[in-house]
Amino acid sequence: MAEGDARADRYPLDDTLPVGLGDIGPGMNILVSGPPMSGKRQLVFDLLAPEGTSADPIVVMTTDDPVLRIRTQFEDRGVRFDPTTFRIVDATGAPGDTDPAVHRVSSPADLTGMGVAFTQAVDEMATPDRLRLGFVSISTLLQYVDAERAFSFLHVLSRRTSAAGYLGVYSIDPTTHEDRFVNVVTSIFDAAVEIRDQDGDRELRVRGISGVPPEWTPFPY
Amino acid sequence: MTASEGATVLIVDDDREVVRTYRRYLEGTYTIHEAYDGESALDELDEDVDVVLLDRMMPGTSGEAVLEHIHDRGYDVRVAMVTAVDPDFDIVDMGFDDYVTKPTTREELLRVVEGLLALDQHAVDVREYHSLLVKAAALRDGKSTYELDENPAYADLEARISDLERTLDAEAEQLIDDSRFVATLRAIDTASREDIDG
Repeated sequence: MAEGDARADRYPLDDTLPVGLGDIGPGMNILVSGPPMSGKRQLVFDLLAPEGTSADPIVVMTTDDPVLRIRTQFEDRGVRFDPTTFRIVDATGAPGDTDPAVHRVSSPADLTGMGVAFTQAVDEMATPDRLRLGFVSISTLLQYVDAERAFSFLHVLSRRTSAAGYLGVYSIDPTTHEDRFVNVVTSIFDAAVEIRDQDGDRELRVRGISGVPPEWTPFPY
Repeated sequence: MTASEGATVLIVDDDREVVRTYRRYLEGTYTIHEAYDGESALDELDEDVDVVLLDRMMPGTSGEAVLEHIHDRGYDVRVAMVTAVDPDFDIVDMGFDDYVTKPTTREELLRVVEGLLALDQHAVDVREYHSLLVKAAALRDGKSTYELDENPAYADLEARISDLERTLDAEAEQLIDDSRFVATLRAIDTASREDIDG
């Protein structure tokens, strides 16, 4: 990225994170991790479409979340379900009607198919200069391919979007994997947002962003 | 297998003159296997073959049928389609990793084979990166920072990891190209388990 106009390319996050992180540089990849029901998916979607910012083109890749639910989530955030600016790569394997905004892949085991669908989605959006990619979820991907293939896929996909200056946001449930795997996969990402539940109170910390101390911060539901 | 040496290329074309020409272009750099129709191409395919230069229009089993067979069997090879005209379709959709338009030059052919081996290499490097990270994580388990600092094996591992990160960053530039990006994922999909030992 050219340093002079780097700020113009940044991705506003508005007040999505309670840690004073107002925007993030182009080409970054963020991992959102949290136990079940901790709201990590909502956070992924919030980071893709922060309230009050002008919308960037969005691609959501899903291995488990049904298309309809994702659609509702974004409609709730005021995002129009318009194939010129919003597309879903659906690798859940669920059947569905032909929809110009949905690219179907038979299963998360088809890594090539997911890659092809991503390139088609981006091509059909006329290869925008800015784009936010969401990936839900790494945990489900792990049920279909071994750790090494999952790692390789995530590495290649994240570097692809990084090279294009896009923002990537991925979710993982660390409680369903060995700590070692979570640590290794985290190293793919530039930053990690961790969510935890402390006696019924939700907290969040951000690691890997300079100027943002990695301190647990209350993050109300 | 490094990108520069020892790789094996299978040339498939019903025109023997074409096969002879490609062999002449490539045999100084690669081991060459050849086949003159789709059927024998499938016979020639084995673990040694890294790249297939596949004529699209052949009597009998067509290039596309050979490709379908390669995908069905999950062979870990990269395939460049050789065609008389510029393909009027998206090679990404067709499942080819690259294409060559006839007539081609020595430089063009070497560039295509080299490019396909480079993305294979990227897939191998990412796997090795994963394997080193897993080893480093295992060494860190239950050890203090002091113990790790004193451990030459850990320092060596860390050095290899940073080296590899630089290599991966340099290689990642090619991923901006759609067909290279998809072909790299295909290399990950088809990687045989034996390759995976770091």
